[in-house]
Amino acid sequence: MMVTAKTKVVGRPVPLVDGIEKVTGRAMYTADLDARDALVGRILRAPVSHGRILSIDTSRAEALDGVRAVLTGQDCDKTYGVIPIAMNEYPMARDQVRYRGEPIAAVAAQDAVTAARALELIDVEIEKLPPCYTPAEARAPDAPQLHEGKPGNLEREVHHTFGDVAAGFQEAELVREETFDCAEVNHAQMEPHAALAEYDAERDRLTFHSVTQVPFYVHLMLARCLDMDSSRIRVVKPFVGGGFGARTETLNFEIITALLARKVGGKVMMQLSREESFLTHRGRPNTQVKLKIGMTNAGRITAVECEVVMSGGAYAGYGVVTILYAGALLHGIYDIGNVKYDGYRVYTNHPPCGAMRGHGTVDVRHSFETMLDRMARELGLDPFAVRRANLLKPPLFTANGLMVNSCGLGECLDRVEQASGWSERKGKLGKGRGLGMACSHYVSGAAKPVHWTGEPHAVVSMKLDFDGGVTVLTGASDIGQGSSTIVALAAAEVLSIDLGRVRVVANDSTITPKDNGSYSSRVTFMVGNAAIEAAKALRGKLIDAAAGLLDTAPEDVECEGETFFVRGSSQSELSFHDVAIAALAKEGTITVKGTFSTPVEAQGGKHRGGAVGSTMGFSYAAQVVEVSVDEATGQINIEKVWAALDCGYAINPLAVEGQIEGSVWMGMGQGLCEETHYINGLPAHSNLTDYRFPTIAESPPIDVQIVESIDPLGPFGAKEAGEGALSGFPPALVNAVADAIGLDVNFLPVTPDRLLEALIKYRRAARRKEAAE
Amino acid sequence: MTEVLPNFRLMEPATVEEAVALLNETPDALLCAGGTDLVVQLRKGLAETGTLVSLSGIAALREIEVTDAGLRIGAGVTLSQIERAQVIVDGYRAVAKAARSVAGPAHRGVATLGGNLCLDTRCVYYNQSHWWRKSNDFCLKYRGDTCHVAPQGNRCRAAFSGDMAPSLMVHGAEIEIAGPKGTRRLPLAEFYHEDGAAHIRLEHGEILVAAHLPPPGAASEYEKVRVRGSIDFPLAGVAVACARTPEGAARFSVAVTGTNSKPLMVDVPGDLPPHSAPEAFFAALEKAVQKAVSPQRTTTIAPHYRRLSISALTVRLAKRLT
Repeated sequence: MMVTAKTKVVGRPVPLVDGIEKVTGRAMYTADLDARDALVGRILRAPVSHGRILSIDTSRAEALDGVRAVLTGQDCDKTYGVIPIAMNEYPMARDQVRYRGEPIAAVAAQDAVTAARALELIDVEIEKLPPCYTPAEARAPDAPQLHEGKPGNLEREVHHTFGDVAAGFQEAELVREETFDCAEVNHAQMEPHAALAEYDAERDRLTFHSVTQVPFYVHLMLARCLDMDSSRIRVVKPFVGGGFGARTETLNFEIITALLARKVGGKVMMQLSREESFLTHRGRPNTQVKLKIGMTNAGRITAVECEVVMSGGAYAGYGVVTILYAGALLHGIYDIGNVKYDGYRVYTNHPPCGAMRGHGTVDVRHSFETMLDRMARELGLDPFAVRRANLLKPPLFTANGLMVNSCGLGECLDRVEQASGWSERKGKLGKGRGLGMACSHYVSGAAKPVHWTGEPHAVVSMKLDFDGGVTVLTGASDIGQGSSTIVALAAAEVLSIDLGRVRVVANDSTITPKDNGSYSSRVTFMVGNAAIEAAKALRGKLIDAAAGLLDTAPEDVECEGETFFVRGSSQSELSFHDVAIAALAKEGTITVKGTFSTPVEAQGGKHRGGAVGSTMGFSYAAQVVEVSVDEATGQINIEKVWAALDCGYAINPLAVEGQIEGSVWMGMGQGLCEETHYINGLPAHSNLTDYRFPTIAESPPIDVQIVESIDPLGPFGAKEAGEGALSGFPPALVNAVADAIGLDVNFLPVTPDRLLEALIKYRRAARRKEAAE
Repeated sequence: MTEVLPNFRLMEPATVEEAVALLNETPDALLCAGGTDLVVQLRKGLAETGTLVSLSGIAALREIEVTDAGLRIGAGVTLSQIERAQVIVDGYRAVAKAARSVAGPAHRGVATLGGNLCLDTRCVYYNQSHWWRKSNDFCLKYRGDTCHVAPQGNRCRAAFSGDMAPSLMVHGAEIEIAGPKGTRRLPLAEFYHEDGAAHIRLEHGEILVAAHLPPPGAASEYEKVRVRGSIDFPLAGVAVACARTPEGAARFSVAVTGTNSKPLMVDVPGDLPPHSAPEAFFAALEKAVQKAVSPQRTTTIAPHYRRLSISALTVRLAKRLT
């Protein structure tokens, strides 16, 4: 459905439909659920990075008064994992532990103090094995092998070549190659992990509440690991305090909580500490990027060669997808025909990495946009001009087979260039202050889901009943991004009804249709389209009923503002209620559904791994960052940010604005100060004083511009809005630092200590050069 | 036992004498003021007690008094009171600025002067969960026998991380301590000891009740090196006070925190005479700070950086005050 000038509900800023509960504190998150009769679950974690479990003796813990169950890896012999071909993790380690903090046993006890005491009474004997913490260590010839059948600890290597790369470099007038090192980061979502499981022993049924972004995947993994028929399991997602990818796969504590509940035949509440939430991890891996770009004097990119090494941690998780995304999303933003990509995802003895906002693309985009800037400088070109010389002109398919139907990047560039006063101010801000810019993009949902069943990608049900209320049933997980609001708005728009008439019921597997979950920015596009389809079906029934009452053909019935009338006539208007009653009289309670499936041509190239990166539409973003740099302390202050995002169409501009600000802010964290830091495998960062995400004191004014390219397949023309603007920040920051103090850095984050060290080296080199001259 | 707040008795004496008596009756009792640090410590298993003696009910600790001898700030005065008190902002600017630089506004609303002066030392090997420390064989500061920061040494290197101490020290503060034998006073600088596991000279049963400042006489500043503009403990912090000698020379007083197990006064290289070229003086001051401090690997931020940035900050503040 395309947007028209007549839209009444969409396109206007609306507070989120579940916002009131959150700001008043009434929203019930998993840890707030009624746990009065629940036991307390706790997890015992491995003290070593790599080792063989020789024995676990739980007898002393079991004997402790108040302890109701103790489990070890021996209680579950099923692996789990989000990628069907890479499920290599047990909920609790069975024979081998591969990172410090890996679950090895669990207890359920009457209270937290007893549970903690019980953990101390579990006797574990582990034979230490040599660990490897970096890809270099893990790939060394004599490195210990973490997993059977994975020599060199390579989880997956990818080698993709499109076009004629050698010819592209021949054609180039400037070729540059650099390497970048981007630190591992964590989502650090506000809500620590928690799960509540209740097992009904008489009926062999499990009811499960969790903080997940993907209740469907959790449902599948619970059935698998508990060896239960999935019909006996009910998964409910309460309010969730942020995800950012941390919860896009089933997590070990979820399965452990369910196992404990079944063991005790009752209810178990598991609340992880902040440290445990960090240990559960699934963040963005440390990524080393070696990038070579060929360019003409006019700034046209002629060829790209990129090698990426990711330090993936101890288990597969989403790793295969991450390393594929890193290569696939070299495409889809600029017009580049010749691209060679080599990716290596490596196992190490750290907590497993996973998906994180901007999955796979952020560090590669950082490297790419930084190099574009430097090459522009060498060629005497403006950074904006270089981007403009390489814009995509859709509709088209990229060299690796990605479908692009809309691209508003050009307009994004115009907007931020103008808003930031770039042409008047760039290079004129004086020593210590500078401007930098960068572009980015992201998928609006993976065109082929990781768990491919052949079903539609999204289903939305809608119910109209005697009360005249429209209930939308969706499995889409609102994790704060506003997905429930999107489906409500879509229903209200198509049905021409007041938003207050619509109620959204989400995420209860016994009530709502299956949904793959909230990841890869799929929900607005897929679930939004399904909601439109469902609402259209309901609207059809109402129009039929109105036509009967008005004694006219359905084609002649108009519906607007909760009234139905014959087109061109202002007489005999019918109210929504009258029409609803007439429609219900025919068949009783009306239930309809809408679905969305991705077109085959959107599902990517035919090469191995070609589905990753495929999507119905890319969002595009450009941003300008202004910094001041204190050369004495290495402190960077972000003075202002201008960010423009092409989200196709802003169904809810208020939510889009919030998502752009959130993306900028999260990109700022990765650019400035966020990183994990392990000491022999122990996380030194696992609290919010040492994991330094920015505070409000660092938050700059953000000038947000929304660009609407109206995607032909998007709901009302919309594409994603939640991820695209993130990966532009770190390179725009680094480019701004170069503008401010003339120093190029190839690392993230640009913490004050790293920057000062780089400055000292830079000054020393400059002095040496001067002396030599 | 990690992250679980253990059960304890909460005692709420109304006077300092009662609090001293309670402490002396209960060998494992701990003092609690704002609790912003202690509650975290209790959850992490870094402090163990069956009894907390709360100072919140003692009105006498919450007074800021101007006296003939200067200023008396009660140990129970909150940091947000200090950052806003006009008498402090006007006469002891570094003190107000230091208070304002601590953690976030919510912390400062309950955190107290006494709590910040008695703040436990911090270390990346120490401020961790029980599971973490146990996996790492504990450390010299608590339950272990090795300092992981300096394994060859025989003392704990954890860093003193309070912001208030240096700002008071450059103004010549003394502290008042109440104990079973009455009260005693000593210069704040002498309250501390260069040992991360035993860095303050407070006997069990003693309570720090106030800080005394002489009448205002110097302009002062405080700044800290940190990654973020809020929340962070100082990677290093420096207070500088500048008074004028009768001859018109600038006389600096410099104290540093975050770099050692105690806050330290820096030996300043003489006065800066009027009308003299200051570059050599400031270069010497920068060197003096670099020489005085000995930051260790107690945080994830490199010690070398902390040394360089704090000496640069010192010079910046000194120049601002000249």
